[in-house]
Amino acid sequence: MFLAVFVISGIGAALAALLVIAERVITNYGDVDIDVNNGGRKFTIRGGDSLLESLTAQKIFIPSACGGRSTCGYCKVKVLEGGGTVLPTEEPFLDGAERKNGIRLSCQVKVRSDLRIEIPSFLLAVREYTCRCEKIIDQTYDIKQFDFKLLEPDIIKYKPGQYVQLLTPKYEGNSEEVYRAYSISSDPNDNTRFELIVRRVASGICTTYLFDHLKENDKVRINGPYGEFYLRDTGAPIVFIAGGSGIAPIKCILHDMANQQNKRRAVFFFGVRGMKDLFLFDEMPEFEKKLADFKYVPVISQPEPDDNWTGATGRVTDIAAAYLEKQSDAKDHECYLCGSPGMIDSSIEVAAQYGIAQDKIYYDKFS
Amino acid sequence: MNTGNYFLHLLVILFASIFTENMLLARFLGMCSFLAVSRQVKTAVGLGAAVVVVMTFTVMLDWLAYRFVLQPFGIEYFRFILFIIIIAAFVQFLEMAIERYSPPLYQNLGIFLPLITVNCAILGASLFMVIREYDFVESIAFGLGSGLGWMLAIIAMAGIRQRLNNARIPYGLQGPGIALIIAGIMALIFIGFTGVLAGQ
Amino acid sequence: MKKSPQTQKLERMLGASKISSCGFLGIDRRGVDEIIEADAAEIARLGKTNEQIAERMRELTELAKTGLGDWVNAGEQIEVSVDDSRGRIPCPWSHGVRCSKMITTCRRLDTRVSIRWSELNIHMIETHGFFEGKGAAFRVEPKLLIKVIF
Repeated sequence: MFLAVFVISGIGAALAALLVIAERVITNYGDVDIDVNNGGRKFTIRGGDSLLESLTAQKIFIPSACGGRSTCGYCKVKVLEGGGTVLPTEEPFLDGAERKNGIRLSCQVKVRSDLRIEIPSFLLAVREYTCRCEKIIDQTYDIKQFDFKLLEPDIIKYKPGQYVQLLTPKYEGNSEEVYRAYSISSDPNDNTRFELIVRRVASGICTTYLFDHLKENDKVRINGPYGEFYLRDTGAPIVFIAGGSGIAPIKCILHDMANQQNKRRAVFFFGVRGMKDLFLFDEMPEFEKKLADFKYVPVISQPEPDDNWTGATGRVTDIAAAYLEKQSDAKDHECYLCGSPGMIDSSIEVAAQYGIAQDKIYYDKFS
Repeated sequence: MNTGNYFLHLLVILFASIFTENMLLARFLGMCSFLAVSRQVKTAVGLGAAVVVVMTFTVMLDWLAYRFVLQPFGIEYFRFILFIIIIAAFVQFLEMAIERYSPPLYQNLGIFLPLITVNCAILGASLFMVIREYDFVESIAFGLGSGLGWMLAIIAMAGIRQRLNNARIPYGLQGPGIALIIAGIMALIFIGFTGVLAGQ
Repeated sequence: MKKSPQTQKLERMLGASKISSCGFLGIDRRGVDEIIEADAAEIARLGKTNEQIAERMRELTELAKTGLGDWVNAGEQIEVSVDDSRGRIPCPWSHGVRCSKMITTCRRLDTRVSIRWSELNIHMIETHGFFEGKGAAFRVEPKLLIKVIF
């Protein structure tokens, strides 16, 4: 009887030992060199993790929304060498051209041999920052402004108009850390702090955190900057069109123009639904004084009778069209748009109608 | 028994375990994953292939363990425990190896392996092999055949269930209900093979 | 019952995850397949198809978009509006579809009933027959939906 128990236990133990050894041998990929952007960054790590995890550990932030589960398809990188074959989990996210160019989902590429990869160079400039929330200001019933002071590193460099990703920690009702993107809206002159203007999203993970859980003096982590939405350095007259919290990057650009004593002709059409959605009553007209040739046009689409609204009324794009109609050089304007896809689409239509070239229209579609 | 006869005998075991003695439809083993993972032919093929591989190899390993460990010590009654340990360890090992050496294969086949560890058809094959006193080569034929039979049944089931999507099924019978009825009818069909091959 | 690895992954994505804090299953204890089957039966009983429903929802959303956030009249007794939020939300089926976070609200002037849906709802109803689990933030109750939009 003892013998029997001994034999069975022995076999069990032997198999367990065998599995442990096998795991050591099989899942050990050794040291692996990763070369980013042809020598732009080089490092050696232990293989075995996904490329996305390995890059994040090296503080290279590839945007990703689903947490490495091949669901969002954001974390694309170009793998020049060592990525292996495309997995079935990646296939739905890659079109023919991308497959030919070696584009992969970095969350699905496992680091098992030396890798050479290419990522957009601005991603190498992306840093992670810790900051403290200095102030929370109610702007409207569903828009708040958050002022942050940078702690570590204590300075952020960005182009006015770019955005950062804010890390939402776990809180009651949210079981995972996620990143969500918000445009910087503050004066870029003071690069030790920044502000975000955020509108509450129905059941949004991050906005619920910001609106209901974040308190003044709380610490948050962000990374950035990201984005191609910034003022192009030309002399062309400018039309800004924004709706709701889309005002954020435009405000940042206006601060910058004021700092640079920019003399370009500019007009800003800011569309909201009702009087109760309008905010920054003092700050925006202030820019008209600071800038040589700037006009701020708030537009309300459905004013209530007791709003006593005397300003522009209607769809913001119609008001912008009426403005362009009066300009003799309408087709020379540059358009900067920020807001909902619907607003951007109809703004693009308006711009095209007045002969503004597609490549002179810059926008930060909420995507 | 001369070699030719022996070879024929192996073929009989192989085909008997695929058709007349189908693990799933004659013995109703491995029913759980059979019902749960037979919605699409593609996943059914993946799971079926994984079962074929695991069944063939675990029957071999279990035969060796039975013949050279359990029998010499006279502790055959421990075979349930030992077989399960061996199956679990083998599946673990296989999963690791496939993930390391062939990521595409892992995506198609490897992800099903954890599902198989507790598949009773696998253990059933090893136990039948003992009851029927197969020798080593016969056991391989039996394991392979049983695996193929299981795969055949689940692919057929998946094919039928895919067609079923377009059918109007009474409310109370939707889902597992109709699947069990189909499994029953398929079992009846396979009973028709009885007597064609005397496999045991 | 055992579930295939694909279903397991899907249900992991449908639960509370990085793409939706409250998840798509709500307080529903049923599996995703059961939810889809039950809703399909309900839809069939009401004499509609998922395609018809999705098409009508899309039509209303397109109409609502022209209002840039204001109420738009969509035939007698129906008004619709859209509300946009930044970012896109991936389809939990992990097949490369990403929808905007545009939410359409549809209200009936006669019955005062209103219902809301996102672009992802339209996609999931059309492609996967999925109306989300009971108690989920964006569950679209088929019966109510059909009453409001048709």
